[in-house]
Amino acid sequence: MMNRTTGELARREFVRRVIATGAGLATANLGLVGCGPNVSGGDGEDLGPIEKGLNLYLWSDYLADDTVPNFEKEFGVKVTVDTYESNEEMAAKLMAGASGYDLVLPSSYLFPVLFSKDLLAPLRRKYLTNWGNVAPLFLNPPWDPGNAHSVPWGWGTTGIAYRKDRVKETPDSWAVFFDERYRGKVTMLDDLRDVIGSFLRLRGRSLNTVDPAELAAAKQDALKAKPNLRAFVSAPVKAQLIAGDVWIAQMWSGDARQAIAEQPAIEYLVPKEGGTIFSDALVMPRSAPHPRAAHEFLNYILRPPVAAAIADKTGYGTPNQAALPLTRARVPYPTADELGRLEYQKDLGQGSEQWDRIWTEIKAA
Amino acid sequence: MNRRVPRWVVAAATVVYLFLHAPLVALVVFSFNDSKFSATWTGFTLEWYRRLLERDDILDGLRRSLVVGAIATGVATTFGTLLALALARHRMRGRQAVESLLYLPLVTPEIIVGISLLSLFVLAGIPLGLTSIVIAHIAFCISFVAVVVGARLKGMDEHLEEAAMMLGADEWAAFWKVTVPQLLPGIVAGALLAFTMSFDDYVITSFVSGSGSSTLPVVVYGMVRRNVEPSINAISTIIVVVTSLLIYLADRLQSARLAPAGR
Amino acid sequence: MSRRRRVLAWFAARPNASGYALLAPGMIWLLLFFLAPIALMLAYSAMKRGLYGGVEPGFTLEHYRRFFDPLYLDILLRTILWSFVCTVLCLVIGYPVAYVVARAGRWRQWLLFLVVLPFWTSFLVRMFAMIFLLRDSGFINGVLLRVGLIHEPVALLYTPFAVMLGLVYGFLPLMILPIYASLEKLDVALLEAAEVLGATPWARFTRVIFPLSLPGVVAGSLLTFIPALGSFVTSDLLGGAKQVMIGNLIQNQFTVARNWPFGSAAAFVLMGVVLVAVVGYLRRRDAGDFVG
Repeated sequence: MMNRTTGELARREFVRRVIATGAGLATANLGLVGCGPNVSGGDGEDLGPIEKGLNLYLWSDYLADDTVPNFEKEFGVKVTVDTYESNEEMAAKLMAGASGYDLVLPSSYLFPVLFSKDLLAPLRRKYLTNWGNVAPLFLNPPWDPGNAHSVPWGWGTTGIAYRKDRVKETPDSWAVFFDERYRGKVTMLDDLRDVIGSFLRLRGRSLNTVDPAELAAAKQDALKAKPNLRAFVSAPVKAQLIAGDVWIAQMWSGDARQAIAEQPAIEYLVPKEGGTIFSDALVMPRSAPHPRAAHEFLNYILRPPVAAAIADKTGYGTPNQAALPLTRARVPYPTADELGRLEYQKDLGQGSEQWDRIWTEIKAA
Repeated sequence: MNRRVPRWVVAAATVVYLFLHAPLVALVVFSFNDSKFSATWTGFTLEWYRRLLERDDILDGLRRSLVVGAIATGVATTFGTLLALALARHRMRGRQAVESLLYLPLVTPEIIVGISLLSLFVLAGIPLGLTSIVIAHIAFCISFVAVVVGARLKGMDEHLEEAAMMLGADEWAAFWKVTVPQLLPGIVAGALLAFTMSFDDYVITSFVSGSGSSTLPVVVYGMVRRNVEPSINAISTIIVVVTSLLIYLADRLQSARLAPAGR
Repeated sequence: MSRRRRVLAWFAARPNASGYALLAPGMIWLLLFFLAPIALMLAYSAMKRGLYGGVEPGFTLEHYRRFFDPLYLDILLRTILWSFVCTVLCLVIGYPVAYVVARAGRWRQWLLFLVVLPFWTSFLVRMFAMIFLLRDSGFINGVLLRVGLIHEPVALLYTPFAVMLGLVYGFLPLMILPIYASLEKLDVALLEAAEVLGATPWARFTRVIFPLSLPGVVAGSLLTFIPALGSFVTSDLLGGAKQVMIGNLIQNQFTVARNWPFGSAAAFVLMGVVLVAVVGYLRRRDAGDFVG
């Protein structure tokens, strides 16, 4: 989950939810914090038997249809899946002390935030027997050294999706959003990191910069593009792109692949100036009521067929190299060259106020 | 219709009525339309309603909205009625302050109520979930019930209670046997309206709900943002129909006759 | 003496006690869960923002200083302007309806019900009805295309027009009902007398009808203006996120921007505007300015 502000088009095949056992649900709703074993301590600590319940807190549409049912059947665990519409919503809730979840799926840039409140529990690698399937590229990320707290889930990029049947030239640059020929037919994401970030990349800057001059230039670009834009939209744009109301849209790669599946005339690319690469990882909050079941689920999604099914459903790349040959889209890992153009988003710290102000200026113009 | 009302005024009013209702009618009609995307009629179908039944999130949301609504309405109606009685029947110092506090929620923008409650819950460590939602809903429904019941009380004759007491009943009996029956339509109307407000609330709920506690409006909002298929039309139609019934009931009750000695 | 009699006697000896007892549950709830949160918000607005969001102790007025900056003041002013325009539109559009219902005779019950109904229908549903009408693949474009008036869908959604339409659509019933309540008390004899005395229809309206409906007009305006000030759902759904109202700003600070102190400061300024409007109304009302 990256800085997406919404999940996918709700399809008919929505994630099937099974009502958790009364205990699980009551625990979550009454917020009986501390119910369950205290999850702290070293790597080797034994977590005891697998609990009967599991509470997941994920983006909507982030599982394949059979992921949860098969897990439930195999392990005899009742699973609840709750969903959220934005990364920020999830972060705000977690930081506000919402408890009762076993596994949550934050984006990488939220890790410093979550660590600052010591919200994450260290994972017991000994239960993750399938760990070896993770591609080296995703091991030991800077935001979670040694993957002590997280299991990679998916990765993706932010780029441009477009209708090749409506657009004359391939829009391979962020400058396409200035193009008057497509006035009213282009959209950008409703997300400050993505919008400002793309204009920073356009001028060869880092999308994590807090330099006032660079940001001012990006702001000017955004203001120049704004009259051209139909809207700042994140979630509804997929439907609009499929329907042909929108021709060029800044989009996340997963959404784009789902759109392509429904409308083959759509293509997706990362502009030549580069863009954002993001990855999501599953983490376990310290207050998780079912830590052992959580670990079993983590190990379960590290299995190649399961990971492949998830990747196929969500459209995002899988960090599971054993699963890669099994996926339909076979999204290859970025080459070293491509990686050079892609950047991970980092938390802006004190700089966020500056960014926020610029975003308000852009929106209010 | 009184013929003193100028024609053009009637015409204008008619147009406005159409403006108020046509979008909803279109919404309802197209919930039966056999087409996913377009708004041209292609045929009748109950498909979108069928799909609603498959959506656990909607069913869960509905369940939660009903639970929250029931609890919040019960508590808020009780507290609100007591408040209305206190204000109508008793002298007190600090009446001004009481009334101000009572009416303040009615004029405070929902977003402020929502964020302030979120701040409180976080600070006090109250977990965000059904509990926090119920607490919030009670808070904004009390004022509402108090106003409705208060209006009803105004139209009632106090002397009936006195008369009953002169005839030998104590305050308690007079209250229950004379006042309450007359007041009951107002109380029930207030309760129905409170339930409707709770059932429909999006803004405040969105701030104070935790995960696993999405009420129906929160789910619907997600659907509307994602511009989904006509299942939204279907759920909207259901909401409209249910609300209409509740309001019709409340309407009937409000106009229930007061005791003859009353106004 | 029975227990019941003893309790009643206790209360009878203290005439105010039963009043306070009745008040207590509701008042305590409101104090705890309405007033206290707002006080808390006030406190937050003067505290520092944590590095990653959240609130840290330490008194500071930086958030208010930050708000009193052309950018944010502009948003506030624009919101006030939009709310004002919405209120005026609702007044102009809604007055005829209120008048017709008040003079309706037999049909009154039904006409009134037809106004009350959209008022109580879910706000979200009504906003979605607007989206359904306005979007490119929506009803209006569908009709226009079918009829041949246009060849391509017109961009109706995600425009300021859509936002204003949504606001008016949302708040119109709130304007109609109080005006109706006022007009209902209008004595038709007054109108007849005015006519007999030679007043033109326009004079009858401006000298008799409108002044007598003033309490309702003002109440309705207030009930429209205040929620419009705080609204963000409408501009969110119908505006394509290209318009920022103060409600959007506040919501943004409490979610994405994770700057609760600044959001609280902005919310307080908004609250200030609301209170000015309400107090102004109450003062005038008590002074008899709106005597019907």
